[in-house]
Amino acid sequence: MNDIMALLPLSIPLAGALATMLLEVFLKRRDKSYLAYLSVVFLLANILVSLRFWGKDYTYFSGILHWDDPSLVFSMLLNLATVFVVLISMRYIGQQDANHGEFYSLLLFALTGALIMVSTADLLVVFLGLEVLSISSYALAGMKRNDDRSSEAAVKYFLLGSFASAFLVYGIALLYGAFRTTGLLEILQGFQSASGSLWMALLGLGFVLIGFGFKIALVPFHMWTPDVYQGAPTPVTAFFSVVPKAVGFAVLLRLFRPDWPGLLDSPITAAILWGLAILTMVGGNLLALRQSDVKRILAYSSIAHAGYLLVAILARDAASLMFYLIVYLFMNVGAFSAIIVMSRSGHEYTELDDYAGIGFRYPWLGACFAVFLFSLAGFPPTGGFLAKFYVFAAGVREGLIPLVVIAVLASLISVYYYLRIIVVMYMRPASPNLVIDLENSALYLVLFLCLYGVLRMGLFPGNILLFIKQAALAFTML
Amino acid sequence: MNIPILSLVTFLPLAAAVLFVFIPRKMTSLLKVLALSFALLAFILSLLLFFNFDDAAAGPQFVEQTAWLGYGIQYHLGIDGISLFLILLTTFLMPLALLSSWSAVKDNVKEYLIFMLLLETGILGVFAALNLFLFYVFWEVMLIPMYFLIGIWGGKRRVYATMKFVLFTMLGSLLMLVAIFFLHSIYFKAAGVYSLNIFDLHKMILNPQIQMWLFAAFALAFAIKVPMFPFHTWLPDAHVQAPTAGSVILAAVLLKMGAYGFLRFALPLFPDAAQKFLPWLGILALIGIIYGGLMALIQKDIKSLVAYSSVSHMGLIMLAIFALNFEALEGAIYQMLNHGLSTGALFLCVGILYERSHTRLIKDYGGVSRQMPVFAALFMICMLSSVGLPGLNGFVGEILCLFGIFQSNHLLAILAVSTIILAAAYLLWMYQRVMHGPITNEKIRSFAPIRKRELAYLLPIVVMMFWMGIFPQTFLRKMDTSVTNLLDQIQRKQSVFAEHDIRKTEILDIIPEKSIEPDSLSEQEVGHE
Repeated sequence: MNDIMALLPLSIPLAGALATMLLEVFLKRRDKSYLAYLSVVFLLANILVSLRFWGKDYTYFSGILHWDDPSLVFSMLLNLATVFVVLISMRYIGQQDANHGEFYSLLLFALTGALIMVSTADLLVVFLGLEVLSISSYALAGMKRNDDRSSEAAVKYFLLGSFASAFLVYGIALLYGAFRTTGLLEILQGFQSASGSLWMALLGLGFVLIGFGFKIALVPFHMWTPDVYQGAPTPVTAFFSVVPKAVGFAVLLRLFRPDWPGLLDSPITAAILWGLAILTMVGGNLLALRQSDVKRILAYSSIAHAGYLLVAILARDAASLMFYLIVYLFMNVGAFSAIIVMSRSGHEYTELDDYAGIGFRYPWLGACFAVFLFSLAGFPPTGGFLAKFYVFAAGVREGLIPLVVIAVLASLISVYYYLRIIVVMYMRPASPNLVIDLENSALYLVLFLCLYGVLRMGLFPGNILLFIKQAALAFTML
Repeated sequence: MNIPILSLVTFLPLAAAVLFVFIPRKMTSLLKVLALSFALLAFILSLLLFFNFDDAAAGPQFVEQTAWLGYGIQYHLGIDGISLFLILLTTFLMPLALLSSWSAVKDNVKEYLIFMLLLETGILGVFAALNLFLFYVFWEVMLIPMYFLIGIWGGKRRVYATMKFVLFTMLGSLLMLVAIFFLHSIYFKAAGVYSLNIFDLHKMILNPQIQMWLFAAFALAFAIKVPMFPFHTWLPDAHVQAPTAGSVILAAVLLKMGAYGFLRFALPLFPDAAQKFLPWLGILALIGIIYGGLMALIQKDIKSLVAYSSVSHMGLIMLAIFALNFEALEGAIYQMLNHGLSTGALFLCVGILYERSHTRLIKDYGGVSRQMPVFAALFMICMLSSVGLPGLNGFVGEILCLFGIFQSNHLLAILAVSTIILAAAYLLWMYQRVMHGPITNEKIRSFAPIRKRELAYLLPIVVMMFWMGIFPQTFLRKMDTSVTNLLDQIQRKQSVFAEHDIRKTEILDIIPEKSIEPDSLSEQEVGHE
């Protein structure tokens, strides 16, 4: 249905971004938490809009903007992730001497970029969204103005991100050269009919993959990840670990459409994706083994998870990919929230040793963190297990048995480093000066919601699963 | 049967654990009493299973089945004559294990009890599950509490031991998971519906080439759990480092999960591959028997001696399972229960000694029987049960096992008898050095005689040892039908296979449902793809 309403999910966060930015300037109140509440209202309104859009297939700009069901699932996921990030950063920003108004509006700008990317059917618009997302992200990474690490993260992210964007544009240009179009479906048709210069097109596709490989941190394009994740303010890290990844996979899902026989069947692209998946799963997990900083461990773990998600792409299973991303949202944001609970004015505690004895000193926090880590490692009955189960089962169904065997062995490696954090939390004595902030209700709300999400997804995902399956019908071969 | 007894038994400990979260950690005695009463309640409920169990029925009993996640993943519980006793063994030992840690565990009692209760639910679920997915979930879930129990309340090298335990087990089970995926997808291809119901899967006749791979994946997971030589290296570490109650549950029940896995999954699902692997597995089991026994002889630490004795005893059980005849299988199952009781009891005895002297080295003891005469008698009975003295339970199981093994292979049986000789050697020698002789260590003079609480958890086991030794028919009777069925199933599939000689497809055939109770057939969900 062609309707101007289709602009609504994009304009709400944009309006939110502008509102928070202006209000901060004109309303000179000491307590800035109203900005966070305002952002949350905008985001929740946007989730509501996405729900209302369900099944209606709104389009605009002659089909370039297209809210089909999968993009609505992604939209809700991204909005929810941003709600969580806003809530966990409320106190944190004040503690770390960052600026409230800019922070929330940058987050909302970044979200707008992400939403543009998931809702469009044109590669050039994807690039537009990516730039909106990335430029806001560079600024977000440097929000801790007096912290060297944070500035380093911002610069590093900016430099490598620009590189990646350049690759992406170049790739799009080559694809355009080959097929005279930037529309995703038209490009796929081009590959299928082999109408243009196939080699140029493949090269273009390779460059696009490199560009996205940077954004979603696939090995060997992952170099920036640990430094940026470590240096950026922790709520921003939580944002980075979920939003760009989800968006990147949303686009890859449209590029390697499960219902399209073209790209995944071609031996060259399949081989490249296999290679990337194996490198990412094995590399990410192996590199995480030697880390002693919890944020860096989670950075490498997020790399490894990108590898598992790539298996879902190769397995042509959109439903399990979306399910994985939703579970990943809960468990990863949850884990980062647990790290934020540990932070105090002007300092963050992210070394492994800082976590000694938390399990018994603060049983609830310890239990939550442990559940998130078990979920990341893929233990039942958490959502992480079911997510892996669906992805790997789909892989075996598609005959990717060697890939799945490598994937499970890689996740065995990951068990070691996730359990290492738990060892420190439960099996070492607590240091006497371990004190955490117990009055941060927004943060605890997020922790609780994530815990609920992880367990709910692991035990009774019924409705959500139906929802996702309905969305995945858009990608089903008829 | 309207009351879901099996679910109640399985999830009662979990419910208790959830309840415990809301009880303040300072109220330790309340927590302990509650944990014990919940464990006892679970035992009483499981006795209902025993008394209502129909000896003659062929299919699974107390079946509960509801839809869960779709794609053939159902909540499906049920027991037969094999799992019934393993469930009883678990619920019987759990209250005793809790009693044994009454004063041994002093720190973080609340968490300790929560993990023990979660562990019980995990183990019971493994034995009750009839859906492969559900089985796998419980199989993995059970790792988490055990990981914490060893890692938090264990000995000096507990972190190393617990990591090794988890990583070893997961290596096997993750590869098994891939095999489960594979079964899932080929069943769909052949039958057009998804199912992970093990009775549906049993009906598949698989291409023997594929069976080899699948059997290897399942067998590895179970062999690590048993543990069979050469995958046993995690066991001594885990046993020695675990707290007493942890060792008891680990030795008595957890190891049985591996053997149970062979009986329930690996052998009936892949009979042709099993036939090819069996000689080799038999040799590994035999190596385990002899190696475990010899290692036990040279141990200086009582706990690791008992741990290696487990390797040896489990070797005999596995050898009997691989003999695949009626006597051997009944013997193996019976011996699983015996080993649970006797090794559990031995660990409890070691725990009693350790609580008094805080050492587990054999050389630090000597002459304990003078200070603790009653304990000496009980310890002796437990030890003799492990050795296999006639009149006690171990004898019945070992004789049945050896008869069965002899039927299938004379040489293996002759060599396997060494388990009895070796067990007598290392256990009697250990007993002599610890309990008899002059008192060399002054600490021993101050040993208190056995307490009432300690009697309360040793006596039930000793009574059971006599009962199982003198009236084995109480138990064997209930196994007969299930064991016959199992063997029948394996042989029938082999004979059906003989009629085919096509080796191209993955699944050769699905046996039409004969001889399987109508209530065990699930209403399968239609695939959603």
